[in-house]
Amino acid sequence: MNEKHILTAFDRDLDVIQGAMIKMGGLVRISLSDAATALISEDTNLAEKVRAGDRAIDALDQKVKIDTAKLLALRAPTAGDLRFVLSVMEISSHLERCGDYAKNIAKRTIAMAGGCEINGTPAALGRMSKFAETMIKDALEAFIQRDVEKAREIIARDVEADQIYNTLFRSLLTHMMEDHRNITVGMHLHFIAKNIERVGDHATGIAEQTVYLVTGDMPEDDRPKQDFVTPASEGAEN
Amino acid sequence: MNDMRKIEPDVTKTAAKITAREVNVHYGDTHAIKNVDVDIADKTVTAFIGPSGCGKSTFLRCLNRMNDTIDICRVAGRIELDGRDINHKSVDPVQLRAQVGMVFQKPNPFPKSIYDNIAYGPRIHGLAHSKTDLDEIVEKSLRRGAIWNEVKDRLNQPGTGLSGGQQQRLCIARAIATEPEVLLMDEPCSALDPIATAQVEELIDELRQTYSVVIVTHSMQQAARVSQKTAFFHLGSLVEFNDTDQIFTNPQDGRTESYITGKIG
Repeated sequence: MNEKHILTAFDRDLDVIQGAMIKMGGLVRISLSDAATALISEDTNLAEKVRAGDRAIDALDQKVKIDTAKLLALRAPTAGDLRFVLSVMEISSHLERCGDYAKNIAKRTIAMAGGCEINGTPAALGRMSKFAETMIKDALEAFIQRDVEKAREIIARDVEADQIYNTLFRSLLTHMMEDHRNITVGMHLHFIAKNIERVGDHATGIAEQTVYLVTGDMPEDDRPKQDFVTPASEGAEN
Repeated sequence: MNDMRKIEPDVTKTAAKITAREVNVHYGDTHAIKNVDVDIADKTVTAFIGPSGCGKSTFLRCLNRMNDTIDICRVAGRIELDGRDINHKSVDPVQLRAQVGMVFQKPNPFPKSIYDNIAYGPRIHGLAHSKTDLDEIVEKSLRRGAIWNEVKDRLNQPGTGLSGGQQQRLCIARAIATEPEVLLMDEPCSALDPIATAQVEELIDELRQTYSVVIVTHSMQQAARVSQKTAFFHLGSLVEFNDTDQIFTNPQDGRTESYITGKIG
């Protein structure tokens, strides 16, 4: 992959597209991190900043889509080049969705401000967010380094993200069952947990694109799904 | 119906029409083709791609013994058409070339009328027994060559008076007038504009229903558009031969990847 094209403008175009994707990845990670900090510290100003910052991520997604469309039309990429362009388009969509989730977390943080609390949950969400953010960072690194092994390791890691989500889900359900005044906040926190869990799924999607880019095949979807999300009390009976 | 060669060969759609094994070609001291093994399927378009001088045209010319006309050229190995060795001394190369037709880079109509351009082959091979037969063959070939509507009112005018794209389709019609089983095309569109190219490509796709087509092209996009199988030649060797979509999305050999993505190989 280190070989250069005879037409150097082709390499420049590919570099520009990859550059925009990397920049987008950086912005998404900052958004996720800031959204988690805003949630834990109840910082509505920071949450507002995250909300506004999503526009820059969307603009980069548009730029990637326009540049890749141009490259497809003008350079007719084939083989590894074609897979690169298709992968970047997919990854850009994944990152754009992650940006939306960060924005949604920020909006819910603002909505919850001044309401009742469910002790410990924001901190747990913060840890979960860090986990998902690291998945995004590693997935992008694996893509840039064309590292299939690392990508497969990230795909496997998603099970852990699902487990963290399931644990949080049970805990929140239990809190809401115990006291119905917790329901509003409980629902917000649950959606935040779900958003972070989806970020993990998108990181997995990015890792899958690395496998496709390098091997030409998508990895088979044999990830075990951890979907049984019964409340802690019911779970205990089983 | 008057032609014994019109009997449909007993081959299935996936059967190999041409089988080449350990083909080596030398031009004097130059080893131009090195141990090439390939199966050309029937009713399929097979594209040969590769940089200039890689041997793709030389190999194409082996398939109807056009290299026989070059004194210093030696062809070794076995090439079979429907299981019959085409280099066997009992095979008449003129008869073989009626079975394995050829279209060249530059349209080369005979300096004769449009009608006679098409009628020439059937006449010398004795495929027509009457003027009506010949008229039928000419019309059928021109229709198959997708040029009938453009020339039907001026069949007696010279073929050289047509546009480049029309001349090339006339040459394709001439090649199929002898009812060949295989059609070899050596860069048939490189002298044509994009519209004429599209017309010839459309024609190639139609011809695939009846013939096995082998096309040498410098345009990789053309290979991708018209062929189902692609062979990549490099320095006289057949590097990779696979389904066209596989070659263009996920080639298995690094040299193929370098060539089709426009990198230095």
